[in-house]
Amino acid sequence: MFAQLLFLLSAVLTVGCAIAVAVTKNIMHSCIFLLGSLIGIAGLYATLGADFVAVTQIMVYVGGIVILMLFAVMLTGGKDFVSRAQNLLGLAPSMGNKWTYGIGLFVGLVFLLTNIKLLSNIMKSYPAKTFGNEFPSTVSQIGHLLVKEHVLAFELSSVLLLGALVGAAIIARPRKQ
Amino acid sequence: MNQTLVSYLSQYEFYDVLIGIFGKNEGLLAFVIYLLFAAAIVGLCATIGGLGTYAERKISADIQQRIGPNRVGPYGILQFLADGVKMITKEDVMPNTADKFLFYLAPMLALIGVFATLAVLPWSSGFMMADLNVGIFYLIAISSLVGVSVFLGGYASNSKWSMLGGLRGASQIISYEIPVTISVLSITLLAGGMGFGTILSQQQGTPIHWFIFHNPFAFIAFFVYFIGALAETNRAPFDLPEAESELVSGYHTEYTGMRFGFFALAEYIEVFVVCGVGAALFLGGGNLPFNVQFDIIPLQLFQVVIFMTKALILYYVVIWIRWTFPRLRVDQLMSICWKYLTPIAIFNLVGNAVWIVVFNGKSIADLVFGGH
Repeated sequence: MFAQLLFLLSAVLTVGCAIAVAVTKNIMHSCIFLLGSLIGIAGLYATLGADFVAVTQIMVYVGGIVILMLFAVMLTGGKDFVSRAQNLLGLAPSMGNKWTYGIGLFVGLVFLLTNIKLLSNIMKSYPAKTFGNEFPSTVSQIGHLLVKEHVLAFELSSVLLLGALVGAAIIARPRKQ
Repeated sequence: MNQTLVSYLSQYEFYDVLIGIFGKNEGLLAFVIYLLFAAAIVGLCATIGGLGTYAERKISADIQQRIGPNRVGPYGILQFLADGVKMITKEDVMPNTADKFLFYLAPMLALIGVFATLAVLPWSSGFMMADLNVGIFYLIAISSLVGVSVFLGGYASNSKWSMLGGLRGASQIISYEIPVTISVLSITLLAGGMGFGTILSQQQGTPIHWFIFHNPFAFIAFFVYFIGALAETNRAPFDLPEAESELVSGYHTEYTGMRFGFFALAEYIEVFVVCGVGAALFLGGGNLPFNVQFDIIPLQLFQVVIFMTKALILYYVVIWIRWTFPRLRVDQLMSICWKYLTPIAIFNLVGNAVWIVVFNGKSIADLVFGGH
């Protein structure tokens, strides 16, 4: 019962906040609703027993990405941006016309149905199969996977991140006159 | 291993009696136990936070050769209750141009972020709400909500002091998270796990078995952690977000009454939490200095006392530092983090890893006295 309650709460939080992100006109409020949505996704991971992934979700998105977004909004945005917000019914020119909305809706529906068809098998087997008990926790299992089977991807992504870090430092550096 | 508080309590006889009372409904009983324990911990921590403000004023008075609060109760010890009543009864003022939604949300986020960390704080080997196997990682992740709340409090007030304080606070918190997390990571390496139960079980025995004395790198890591924790909780000498001589009082300038109280309470409880984490990671937490074969409730309470003593000693050091050192400049703050603490923390991490490989994970005490 507790797992179902957790799932319901997380799902409502995720979907509700995601809708609020799209509907809200104030971009700062959107960022905060996005925070709620991402926490809801962490709750979904926790429902599936993936505690490490859930905590990583909070760590990366709440602690990093959302704060970064807030910074970006504050350092670039102004009040003008709020008043120029385009809504769906106004059909502002840059957002497309009735035809593009219609085609977009149709494509989205087809995509959704295909996904549901593909995922239905996985959905039916919920709750997820518990893995063999050779590992005491998911953390050690992820650790083993990262440094054994997926060590190349792991190392490559670390090199990529280091490159991004160095690149950011070079771009942000004050130029010598 | 005790996975949660309930599974710990279930080894006692009175648990069976309780199940009988609840009509064999174990889920409901677990819920009630968690609820009671959570209420007790929140109450205890709110008291610690309140007494923290009293301790802060009294210790600062001692350091500055004043008397400090001495009117309410014996030695002024009820001052924090008087302050609390004052805050609750004060008018809740909100600036006209403030962003109402975010203005109300920010203090709540601060309190949620801090109280959520209490779920994994190891009061003793048994009295832990939940011994998650991602314990310390969860704690670091969830406490980043406080950073968001500082930022939002600064933004929503629509005041330049608050805005500058919020910006400073958020940048400081996310910068100092890096050396703190890397220091914690080196302890995770030594313990071989992220759960507080695992970390504490590796430090049993006399003080020489604490992780701070495990090897020279861990010793340095403790100080990196402590300095970083000071900055993360916005304490002096890193209290730039609320630098009263330049920013009135930073991100909570526009807050009045209990909303300001929430921010203050969250700050003081967070200081206690980081001190408790420091005590658990490096100073052996609530471990007894001798081995006992049996496990009874009074022994657990004794562990709680030991844990609290260590945490409160660190709490005292935090206050002591605040009233001793002058505040840093913003550029000094950032250069300390990025040019000194982060490289030192990474050096410690590598050093710890090398130590584990070379000495097969043995501590200095094991090498000198043998054992393990």
